[in-house]
Amino acid sequence: MPASLLERRLHFVVGKGGVGKTTVAAALALTLARRGRRTLGVEMEPGGRLAGLLGPEVRAGLHVLHVDGRAALEEYLNLVIPVKRLLATVLQSKIYQYFVAAAPGLKELMTVGKIWYEATRTEGGRPAWDAIVVDAPATGHSLQYLRMPQAARETFGAGLVQREATKITNLLRDPRATAVHLVTLAEEMPVIETLEMRAQLTGALGLPLGHVIVNRLHRRRFDPASVERLHAAARMEPSAERALLHCVAERAAEESGWSDINAANLARLHAGIGDAPLIELPFLFVEEFGCAELEQTARLLEAGMAGRAEPAARRRSRSS
Amino acid sequence: MTLRELVERHQIVISAGSGGVGKTTVAASIALWGALAGRRAVVITIDPARRLASSLGVETLGHDAREIPATYFTAQGLGAPRGSLAAMMLDQKGAWDALVERHAPAEARARILANPFYQHLSQTFAGSQEYMAIEQLCVLAENGAYDLIVVDTPPTRHALDFLEAPTRIGDFLDRKVVRWFVRPYFSAGWSALRAMNRTAGFLLRRLEQATGMSALAEISDFFTSMSGLFENFQPRVERAYKVLRGAETAFVLVTGPEEQVLGDAEYLSTKMAELHMPLKGVVFNRVHREYRPAGRGARRGELGPEDAEQVARAVARALGGATGEAAELAANFVDYQALARGESLRLEMFRAGLPRAVPVVQVPNFARDVHDLASLAEMHAHLFGGKATVG
Repeated sequence: MPASLLERRLHFVVGKGGVGKTTVAAALALTLARRGRRTLGVEMEPGGRLAGLLGPEVRAGLHVLHVDGRAALEEYLNLVIPVKRLLATVLQSKIYQYFVAAAPGLKELMTVGKIWYEATRTEGGRPAWDAIVVDAPATGHSLQYLRMPQAARETFGAGLVQREATKITNLLRDPRATAVHLVTLAEEMPVIETLEMRAQLTGALGLPLGHVIVNRLHRRRFDPASVERLHAAARMEPSAERALLHCVAERAAEESGWSDINAANLARLHAGIGDAPLIELPFLFVEEFGCAELEQTARLLEAGMAGRAEPAARRRSRSS
Repeated sequence: MTLRELVERHQIVISAGSGGVGKTTVAASIALWGALAGRRAVVITIDPARRLASSLGVETLGHDAREIPATYFTAQGLGAPRGSLAAMMLDQKGAWDALVERHAPAEARARILANPFYQHLSQTFAGSQEYMAIEQLCVLAENGAYDLIVVDTPPTRHALDFLEAPTRIGDFLDRKVVRWFVRPYFSAGWSALRAMNRTAGFLLRRLEQATGMSALAEISDFFTSMSGLFENFQPRVERAYKVLRGAETAFVLVTGPEEQVLGDAEYLSTKMAELHMPLKGVVFNRVHREYRPAGRGARRGELGPEDAEQVARAVARALGGATGEAAELAANFVDYQALARGESLRLEMFRAGLPRAVPVVQVPNFARDVHDLASLAEMHAHLFGGKATVG
């Protein structure tokens, strides 16, 4: 296993909808920027939340870019059709609109192409970015994007596109440059989807896998006997105390229940992913997920990626 | 109106929301409720929801409606349904292929099915899957086999793709544009086009060279073979919207209590109103319950972190002096209170933005996977305020 995945240049953060991909991508971008690397966060969907999460953190060394396939195509055509007036005619024509909407995989290819461009762009003789973190769309959609360069390489005859698709594929497959991180929850469906995604990424696509990041883990367990005793004792209390104690017992049962579900699914995940490095992030009990929580997630992520043990004291966010 | 009345009064219930909020489970639970109450119910899902299949006691969901046997109900302790429950999975690729079978001349079928543009249209074109789901919904709604059709919408970030699908695909298959593609010079290739319009021909050739795609010829071949179908596409789109906007249809928004998920939900509900498909009910799923001390008013934050010690003392007293354990239990309680308080504030704000007539229900965050009919039925108390009446 490589010393630290933190050294890679291009990070893709993928996973099922609702598992916290954007949060992890934001925390990763923050971590890399804190280590002094010029970092670009990339969001691929309209209305992306990465910019919002990183908003207060955007400063020298940390930027966010929204990549849109259509805009990327226009930018690309700008490079290959230098006559601006002709270009404008093309872009406005109905047939161009149609071409963009209909050409299989064109927008996906252009999106990944734009990311490649940013990853290889130089400024004043040195790379424009030290690290790029891509907040990828939900699983199936991500695969469409990641598959495109290779598909384009195989489909198109020798020419400009094939040459560029080959360059993009080479970068994506380079284990010194790229890492695809899988974010999941330790619940049934997310684990199934993660294992399937992993098989596809490492199989036909041949992409270098980064970390598997298990988000929102519950890890407290309470002795069922104590919980039962608390319920029983509550029944003897005056009514005000009774409701409170029942509630305390119920929350303990709830936490134990989630801990059990998480533990069972974490075991299935471990069995399925082999030796892929796994990072566990705790469930955060907070009213609002804000800057402090993003900071905390970034610290835990960094510790996990650097292979340091996670400090147990940071489990809960509120220091009382 | 309550959610119960809403479901009772509509033939079609569409469960919408962003990914990972439990839409499929809510949809299945609503259909089960209908079946228990005597309706011929079907739940339609878009993705291969294996867990839904197994929770309904069938191995896999097929593209034809599969009825859940009454014996499975009784085995789960639910009693035989007064109505019936069926489940099916929509297969958008199969539906497109069926369209080709129906409309393309026999000799062109194999070529169309292999046409890259066709594959793109049927598999990845935004709105295409959703559109096919709506087509199948229209067929089910019209054939009268079911009096409760519950649709689990595709797991798009914004379920808008579903609602806008008919328009989008209608624009895409716009007759005027399609006619343009059916003209012979496309199939004849670029040289013919260039002869017709030198500038356009030159530019488009550059475009194809630059991208390496010969999409236009493929599009032309596709539309030429399928012209019969697309001549009549607009009425199909109108029919789809008639069903979606009909008085018989109720959109139910399913959302979680997280800030980002609620942001998506708010955006979705605004867009739905603009599209004249207002949501008629809201399910807040996986909500943490807040403990509010009785008799001390509903003022918030009364049992917050500062009360941890007080709670710990009360727990220790009740447990007879186990202070270490009491502190852990109290800390856990306080953590869940913080979570619940944040959720409750956000849900209240979200609710304030909804029309008053829209019923809102909350389903707690059960610490278990939904894996059978019995656990789907457990949601009924929260969705409908009781058990379905079983005859």
